[in-house]
Amino acid sequence: MRLKNKSNAKTAETRKKRLLSMLEQQGLSIYENLDKGKFPQFVIPSRSVSNIVYDKKIRQYILGSASAVRSSRNMSQLRSYTQLAWLAFFVNRLVREGKSSTLRDIYYSSQAFSIDFEDQPESDNIIVDLEAVLTSPREEFHIFPEERSSVFGDLTIEYTVPGYEGKRMNLSDHPDGYLIGPSLSSAELVDTSAELVIAIEKGGLFTRFVEEKVHKKFKAIIVDTAGQAPRSTRNLLRRLNNEMGLPVVILADGDVYGEHIAMVIKSGSANAAHLRELTVPDAKWLGVWATDIEKYKLPTIPMTESDIKRIYDLQKDPRYQEGNWKKQLEVFLKLKRKAELEAFSKYGLTNITDKYLPAKLEESKSF
Amino acid sequence: MSKEVFSQISPSEFFYRNRDLAGFSNPTRSLYTSVREFVENALDACDHRKILPDIHLSIKAVNPEQADPKHYILTVKDNGPGIDPEHIPLAFGTVLYGSKFGLKQARGMFGLGATMAILYGQITTNKPVTVKSCSDGKSLDEFVMLLDIQKNKPVIQKHTTKEGSKTGLTVSIVLEGDYSKAGSKIRDYVYQTSLITPYASITFEDPAGEKFHYARIVKDMPRPPTVIKPHPHGIDVETIRRMITDTHYQIPAIDNKMIDKVKKELSLKKNLSPKEILERAQKRWSDISKPVRTVISVMSFLNIGFEGLQKIRIDDIDVANKTITYWDFGESQSHAVELNPESPYYKQLASTVQGDTLLTFLTKRFQRVGPTTAEKFCEFAKFKPDKRIGSMTNEELVKLADALQKFEEFLSPDPSCLAPLGEEPLSKGIMKFFNPEFAAVWQRNASAYSGFPFVVEMGIAYGGDIPPNGLKVYRFANRIPLLYDEGSDVVLKIVNETEWTRYKIKGDPPLVIVSHICSTRIPYKTVGKENVADRPEIERELKNALQYLARKLAVHMSRQGAADMAKKRANLYSKYVPLIAQFATELAGKKKEPNYNQLIRMGSEIEEQV
Repeated sequence: MRLKNKSNAKTAETRKKRLLSMLEQQGLSIYENLDKGKFPQFVIPSRSVSNIVYDKKIRQYILGSASAVRSSRNMSQLRSYTQLAWLAFFVNRLVREGKSSTLRDIYYSSQAFSIDFEDQPESDNIIVDLEAVLTSPREEFHIFPEERSSVFGDLTIEYTVPGYEGKRMNLSDHPDGYLIGPSLSSAELVDTSAELVIAIEKGGLFTRFVEEKVHKKFKAIIVDTAGQAPRSTRNLLRRLNNEMGLPVVILADGDVYGEHIAMVIKSGSANAAHLRELTVPDAKWLGVWATDIEKYKLPTIPMTESDIKRIYDLQKDPRYQEGNWKKQLEVFLKLKRKAELEAFSKYGLTNITDKYLPAKLEESKSF
Repeated sequence: MSKEVFSQISPSEFFYRNRDLAGFSNPTRSLYTSVREFVENALDACDHRKILPDIHLSIKAVNPEQADPKHYILTVKDNGPGIDPEHIPLAFGTVLYGSKFGLKQARGMFGLGATMAILYGQITTNKPVTVKSCSDGKSLDEFVMLLDIQKNKPVIQKHTTKEGSKTGLTVSIVLEGDYSKAGSKIRDYVYQTSLITPYASITFEDPAGEKFHYARIVKDMPRPPTVIKPHPHGIDVETIRRMITDTHYQIPAIDNKMIDKVKKELSLKKNLSPKEILERAQKRWSDISKPVRTVISVMSFLNIGFEGLQKIRIDDIDVANKTITYWDFGESQSHAVELNPESPYYKQLASTVQGDTLLTFLTKRFQRVGPTTAEKFCEFAKFKPDKRIGSMTNEELVKLADALQKFEEFLSPDPSCLAPLGEEPLSKGIMKFFNPEFAAVWQRNASAYSGFPFVVEMGIAYGGDIPPNGLKVYRFANRIPLLYDEGSDVVLKIVNETEWTRYKIKGDPPLVIVSHICSTRIPYKTVGKENVADRPEIERELKNALQYLARKLAVHMSRQGAADMAKKRANLYSKYVPLIAQFATELAGKKKEPNYNQLIRMGSEIEEQV
């Protein structure tokens, strides 16, 4: 039984305190400016392409030193300034009262405060602005995306959401898995018997893995990323790795998108360059590699033009400049064909769990 | 040899062959053209006598039930000077009877177009024209007449004289027309004519009985144009030749009629000797006419009396070479007599055109040419200044005409023959018609193209009651609206070439441009007289006028823009600052809101940083 590594962890409570303190500081600053007849402003780290750089040390994209000022003095920024001030105010309420919200809910809630977002992309953007100002992911603001992925396995958690404080729950009790939602994201991780986390791209295979008792055979916690992993899922993967000391492996389709799903879990996305704690730098991409397609004689389909274009795009990314990441891209480009995880069913429904997974886990020890 | 058959064509045939040119190609166009001709004649007549025009136009269907094209009664009534009863049959009953010549700006050539309309009416409906005229304020004459097409002569069917009280003319014709198609153009025409003639009151009653009334906006008539001499740049060889042979300056033909005239002016009852005739003439010299003086001068050199004069034929008076050549019928031979330049009679002959020196010809017969300019010109053209104009050969005349065109030191043409509307009436008209938020007008100084003076005046109006349907251009030439062929007009070209965004005008602006070109000769592109050709000089003037006005508009727009911006700022800060305060108060954990009024005020006042 693995116990939580307390020294490494920021508990939910301390993170909440830190956030509320930053919000109060912002509020005080605005308040004093208004009182003195000065125009208040926010300093927002610039998220423009030129300010996004890859940090090799921490192995993720980060923002450079450039920042932009959003001032209430500038008439053209006054509206978005007010939107940002409102969001800080609203997040403060959410966090203090322990309520959760979604991106869409934020968009609709604004109307009650005479804050007029033109559409949801505009409000989503303001949320990212606040993330950058406070360098905290929106999940800490209790704001979640609509999309949900799931987790299954022997992991005991303890809720922190109001009404459930202190209540514990084991995530292997329900075979459909558990949604990685606000309550689970804010819960404390208590203990686990697992020795491994397997992140898998597809819901269908997640169910298959549960049926095949992969969690028992491999002592694993299984996470369904539902395609590109949402931030709350990436954050959970990181905590499982960080707080519980579990290695994370990733299984995705045998194409360029699968490879990149693994990369984003490992080292983040450019979109979230302003955030930390969403990456699992030691995560391992198990497959399906381009070389696996030939090695396991998987049935394939031809790549589309956009697949090929995506390969060329990724070849410019600094993270794909060496090692296996680089090699697999080259092989994909050479094959111009791709294979899905389901391709293993050609050799039997349990082929992937009986043969492929053990082989790749064994292989992963050497990289 | 084959025989060629020549046949004379009647004016009506001429009309039929040329009716497209005159604007009578179909019932729609004919109705419109007829309206124009009568309305323009009425306005010209009033302008000429400085009477504030009061024009009534009505169009009535003869049988309203009938479908178009059908017969209409077109009546135009004015308060002008009227026409003497004795001139009416000729003025309205013959083709090509005109009364307006000379070089000055007018809407049309008087008479011609109106007679065309009358003729068109008669041909299509076989109905007479009715003319009511009062020229003395006492008697009103009414003529009902047809045109005898073969003889080009009026046939008066009825002539009555009644008591009248006001001067004026009413012309009424019946013609085939199509109001359903011509209606909108005619209404446009009346509307636009009222805009460019703000000193007129115009009423139009359409076939449905609806009245369109445009009241007088200004009470002052614009300065009337004066008749002037031609400008050197505006003439050609043919014009020079006509100027030289102008009857008024020609050496008169010496026939019995002329001899009677000489005798009458000298009050001669009986035959006198040549010497006695000359003595009598000397005494009365200042009272006798120029042709008579010329005849007496000739008699003095030939030393003959009236009898002798009847026996000879003057062949040539060569003032330059100081000789008179004549043919003696009795002797059947030619004689040449030398002229004594010392004689005062020689001066008399020399002052006729044939005798004029080039220098005198230039200064006397052209506008704005003084002796200095004339001398410079002679040097330029390589003519001797004392070259007798009458002695010029055809080649020399061509060379002269050419040089007159090329010489650049002539003063620009005298614009006194032009009658622009003027800035104030134009501006008042625009204000009244469009009630705009902004308007500006500009009258450019007179300029000239090919010797024809012209003046451009332009107005611009923005916003207010003008609908935001994009730019609308009203084109006028010599106070006539131009309604057709808009696309190919020089004014449209200039307007379309303008980069309006530079003047802060975007999208479909509520913008009106009024352009008026006045000239003794408008360079129309087509005979239809609906679009003005792009002469570089005119184009330049239009462009300057438009740029000047557009800049004024831009100033207005930025002022307006700044005012709008300040208002917008004030609104924005009043809306958002209290919200920010509300959010910050809760965020900071305070109870009382900060005092943010100062900030709202500051926000409203900040100048936008550019």
